[in-house]
Amino acid sequence: MSNHEGSHHHFILPVKTGTFIWITLMVLTVITVWIAQFNFGALNFAIAMLVATIKASLVAMFFMGLKYDKLENRVIFIASLIFFAIFMVLTFSDLAFRGAFRVQQPFFAESGSQPKFANPWKVTPELLAHGKAVFETNCVTCHGAQGKGDGPAGSAFNPRPRNFTEEPGWKNGRKPTQIFATLKNGLGSMPSFASLPLDDRWGVVHYVASLGPNTTVVTDADLKSVGVDPSGAVSAAAKTLPIDFAIERMATGN
Amino acid sequence: MAHPTTEHHYAHHFESAEHEFESCKQGMWLFLMQEVLFFSALFVAYAVFRMFFPEAYHQAHHALDWRMGGLNTLILICSSFTMALAVNAAQRGLRERTVWQLAFTLILATGFLVVKYFEYSHKFHVGILPAKYFHVAELIGPGKEFTDPNVPIFFSLYFTLTGLHGLHVLIGMGVIFWILLRAARGEFSPGYYTPVEMVGLYWHFVDLVWIYLFPLLYLIS
Repeated sequence: MSNHEGSHHHFILPVKTGTFIWITLMVLTVITVWIAQFNFGALNFAIAMLVATIKASLVAMFFMGLKYDKLENRVIFIASLIFFAIFMVLTFSDLAFRGAFRVQQPFFAESGSQPKFANPWKVTPELLAHGKAVFETNCVTCHGAQGKGDGPAGSAFNPRPRNFTEEPGWKNGRKPTQIFATLKNGLGSMPSFASLPLDDRWGVVHYVASLGPNTTVVTDADLKSVGVDPSGAVSAAAKTLPIDFAIERMATGN
Repeated sequence: MAHPTTEHHYAHHFESAEHEFESCKQGMWLFLMQEVLFFSALFVAYAVFRMFFPEAYHQAHHALDWRMGGLNTLILICSSFTMALAVNAAQRGLRERTVWQLAFTLILATGFLVVKYFEYSHKFHVGILPAKYFHVAELIGPGKEFTDPNVPIFFSLYFTLTGLHGLHVLIGMGVIFWILLRAARGEFSPGYYTPVEMVGLYWHFVDLVWIYLFPLLYLIS
């Protein structure tokens, strides 16, 4: 509590200092725009943020008078920035260790789109070609263009992504239904792709199965085990909307 | 510091006018702390989605005119300066100058919103709307199509960030007008100018947020 009864000794920002700060801020704005014309790669963002932070510091220190303010007020404001930094750093350190976090589906896509292939657990040449296309959009970053587990992002993982061209070592097995289970549930560093449309997932399953040396036989019981009614009805649980997909992926890290 | 010309009658639960002023100021800083945290959630969302969809951000920012954003940055900086001059004048008991500087600040704030209005109405016209209302068929010129399906995410953030900032500008204009009237009535003196300084702090904070919004939204390379 203040004991300075009635005595005001607040700092008054001199007009001269204020004018100098104003001109500096205007010049820095021009510099921000000017420097954005050049391409320094990732450095552009760093420079823009650095200049913005210099500007913000000038505003806070002089126009808002924090430089001359009481320690408590400075602590309050700087604490808010520290909490902001914690927020940012923890969010990004979390995201960085989630493995694949890329969301391929548009957030605001029309939901409830009709499946393009009926009974997609039965392989057809068209479905296989479709599966290859889905594979090339969603899987090659880790599993590689030939499915050899040598995609550019795959090197970040231990164990390495599955090599689909080899027989041994498949943790969930190589039956199409078992591959489907892996796609649905994820496995280790591999995220779940449960909300890709059902026919897309089966297309990928058939394509992945076709990369290996032997084709395996699937029974109705196998299909039932992954929630597919062989008579043709799609179980409600398997139908998920893209927006749920994105939110679920972000919320659970799968 | 000049001595108060008129004695300010501080509220009974304060020891002195000084005590009242310091308490008020600390409350203002706590409010601004809350404002930082309020905006920080949006900035983190911006950063996360930028990491997810760099290409969408790049395509989307072509729809923003950096000249408009740059002009608004300059306008807000000028308004921050006139606000600082208004506080300076109020502290020194220069009533007429306080009123004029507050009026300049109001005019500049209006200019900011006018520029924003032209930006928004152009976007609405071509179908750039938030979230599911986004519907752009073809747009803004060769080589500037939105092929990335996640472009609407950028605009949802754009409208949320600039919209909330614009709301802060509007509220700021309201409180500036309020202290302008009070200053014109001669309610402030070197002994009492608390509202002017508090509104000043708020207004500078609004400028501070925009200083970051401008490069983050308009200048994506």
